[in-house]
Amino acid sequence: MAVPEVTLTHLNRADGSATYTHNGYSIIGAVNGPIEVSRRDEMPEEATLEVNVRPAVGVGSPKERHLESLLHNTLRSIILTRMMPRTLVQITLQVRSLPEEDEATGVNSTLTILPHLLHTSLLALLSASIPLLTTLTSLLIAVPTSSAPIISPTSTELLRAGPLQAVHVFAFAGDRRLLLNESDGAFSYDEWEEACEMAEEVCCSGGEGGVKLEGEGMDVDAQDGNLEEWLRGVVRRKVDWEQRWKKGT
Amino acid sequence: MPREAEISLNEREFIKQALQEQIRLDNRAFDAFRKLELTFGEEYGVADVQLGKTRVIARISIDVTTPLPERKFDGVFQIFTEFSPMASPAFEVGRPTDAEVILSRILEKAIRRSNALDTESLCIIAGLKCFALRADVHIIDHDGGLIDASCIAVMAALQHFRRPDVLVEGERATILSVREREPIPLSILHQPLCVTFSYFAEGEIFLVDANLAEEQVRNAEVIVTMNRHGEVCQIAKYGGVTVNPLAMLQCTNVALQKVKEMSKFIQQKLDEDAKRRDAGGLMAELSAENAR
Repeated sequence: MAVPEVTLTHLNRADGSATYTHNGYSIIGAVNGPIEVSRRDEMPEEATLEVNVRPAVGVGSPKERHLESLLHNTLRSIILTRMMPRTLVQITLQVRSLPEEDEATGVNSTLTILPHLLHTSLLALLSASIPLLTTLTSLLIAVPTSSAPIISPTSTELLRAGPLQAVHVFAFAGDRRLLLNESDGAFSYDEWEEACEMAEEVCCSGGEGGVKLEGEGMDVDAQDGNLEEWLRGVVRRKVDWEQRWKKGT
Repeated sequence: MPREAEISLNEREFIKQALQEQIRLDNRAFDAFRKLELTFGEEYGVADVQLGKTRVIARISIDVTTPLPERKFDGVFQIFTEFSPMASPAFEVGRPTDAEVILSRILEKAIRRSNALDTESLCIIAGLKCFALRADVHIIDHDGGLIDASCIAVMAALQHFRRPDVLVEGERATILSVREREPIPLSILHQPLCVTFSYFAEGEIFLVDANLAEEQVRNAEVIVTMNRHGEVCQIAKYGGVTVNPLAMLQCTNVALQKVKEMSKFIQQKLDEDAKRRDAGGLMAELSAENAR
């Protein structure tokens, strides 16, 4: 599995931003927050969260609204909204490009893009230093009728896999809790559980959920495609970059 | 919905005072553009323009529809500009600000109404089928000069875009996919580009390519659109103080020089990109373009 490419904090105007490229999906995310909230949306004890998903072509449709509500509910559970009452955290996700074969695969396109949107928004939140309860990692699993499940398939792989029985999207918190599940197709509970375990294997690192010691996780960038390790690598590079003044030359 | 942070009175006075002393905050000359960067994506018709800290992405997409009944021989071409909170938290989705309305109006006048794109070439079968071309302008980062940057982005994307070829047999039209036939470039008649002049001190000083701080301080703007042959497509001035007509002429002269430089830059980038794509040197053989 190819590891996503990320650029953090590259926009000048937004408080935090990230560009995320993976399997032909390219998304620009920006976070503004905490900022002043309109009277109508103000909540006395917590921050208001606003998510905007903008498609590459055309204006937002019900599909984008659906994605926004999924993201809103998932991100609400990891942002410490109670630490910033009566403010607004504004997340904008601009889809820059989709793989060419995206529409031809026949898979519900809300599901294929969802993990990428979740990762982009998390990275943008990290870049904006918004207080978070935990991190999240997310994954798409496609289960073809005739062969073994494919983890995080590219659209060409989906095309080649033939008829699909089911497609699942899972998102896990840093402590291995399941945050989000969206599934499409026909499957039994056992099949779902199998897919869920496979996703957990890739999304969460092998450790006990604690912070790894420096040294043993040094070469996380060249790893086996574990998403949490990848996320840690991204954050480590960001912190290294921000702390460079401390290290001297 | 927060408001745009207004520039403080001290900053305002400082910028004005500095301009009186012939100094700009970023030490540019009065008629100098910021550093312009242009990159194209992997796919055709995506242009990413960076003008200083401003960043705009234009994306062209194509579809097949029925032409408008009163324009049977023309294809459809539309430009969509929608600001998102990414550029500034003051932009709200679904509620256009004045800047957004002005931007879309100027682009409409500069590119669509000046016939930069030959819409007749988008017609497939008169009255029945035509191509509908749409340009989406995404503002990624906002530091002034949106009109100039968006115009460059849309024009560059249009020149970079390739549309699929069609095969017409009587009433039947077949759209040939990229694999069957090499897609063909759009027929662009001329390349209009916008240059925005910001006026200060009651029309005494004019600046090219003002950044956001300067835009907030200025007392008027004049937008000149012209192509590199020196044909003026439109001049727009929204409010502000009255301007000496001779100064306007001076503006068009400066604009011509700027437009020539920018056209050259865009062409150079397009050539570089074409060279990169033309890896095996087979592009000329594959081309399905008709000579005009």
